[in-house]
Amino acid sequence: MSERTDIMKREESMLQRRRQIPTIAPVVDIFENDDNILLYADMPGVAKENIRVNVDNGKLFMSGVRNLKTPGAANWEEFGDVEYSRVFYVPQTIDVGKVNAELSDGVLRLHLPKSEAAKPRQIEIH
Amino acid sequence: MWTRVNDIDRMVGAMDLFRSRMNRLFSDYDRFADQGKGWHFADGTPRTNFYDTGSQFEIRAEVPGLTKDDLNIKIQGNYLEVSGTRKPDAPEGYKAHRVERSAASFTRSFTLPSEVDAEKIEASLNEGILSLTLPKAEAAKPKLVTIH
Repeated sequence: MSERTDIMKREESMLQRRRQIPTIAPVVDIFENDDNILLYADMPGVAKENIRVNVDNGKLFMSGVRNLKTPGAANWEEFGDVEYSRVFYVPQTIDVGKVNAELSDGVLRLHLPKSEAAKPRQIEIH
Repeated sequence: MWTRVNDIDRMVGAMDLFRSRMNRLFSDYDRFADQGKGWHFADGTPRTNFYDTGSQFEIRAEVPGLTKDDLNIKIQGNYLEVSGTRKPDAPEGYKAHRVERSAASFTRSFTLPSEVDAEKIEASLNEGILSLTLPKAEAAKPKLVTIH
């Protein structure tokens, strides 16, 4: 949750220090049915190429960096460049190879299908 | 002990950082209440940026998940009103584990610093950001004054 590593971090040169953008957690909705888990996250202003989604060792990392162009002198600014970042634990039953993601109108939609073995099965009585 | 200016600089920097963290301690605690849910404030209005380029005003607003049909923009003189509705996008037949993205409607109005040319206003929607370009009325544009 906290990105405050800057107190401990040694900076070799003040000149080399890059401007850090704040990291915030995007708001998400998570839905599940017998076959899929869906995850919707709001990431307004993030371009497709700046989004990273990784599933690794039961964790889903998602990150999106927003770079805004400022057209002129600002009278006010209520949002700025930001990195949306959040980590979720996903069940091992997710079929990692079939995860897909789409981005539309600033909403990232992840589709996580469950593997065949993990789907609930009706057991017939003979 | 301090062989390099850089070390002193870094120590002072760390102290400054610590002081600003302490100052922000309380505001950080209620940051979530203050920020509202994600893209909008606690009162439901979207965050906006307002720029003045000299000949025109530029407004940007965060409206993730809204299409152009969900938004209404009205201008009257120097009064601008942006309203919109975010429809719920929960899929059918799914059980919700976490719902943080709220479906809501909002209205936000602005009093522009000067009159604008209402005919030439342009609006576009890109990746969840609404961009408005409002050219200033002729009378309000900056003019070069020559000295005689």
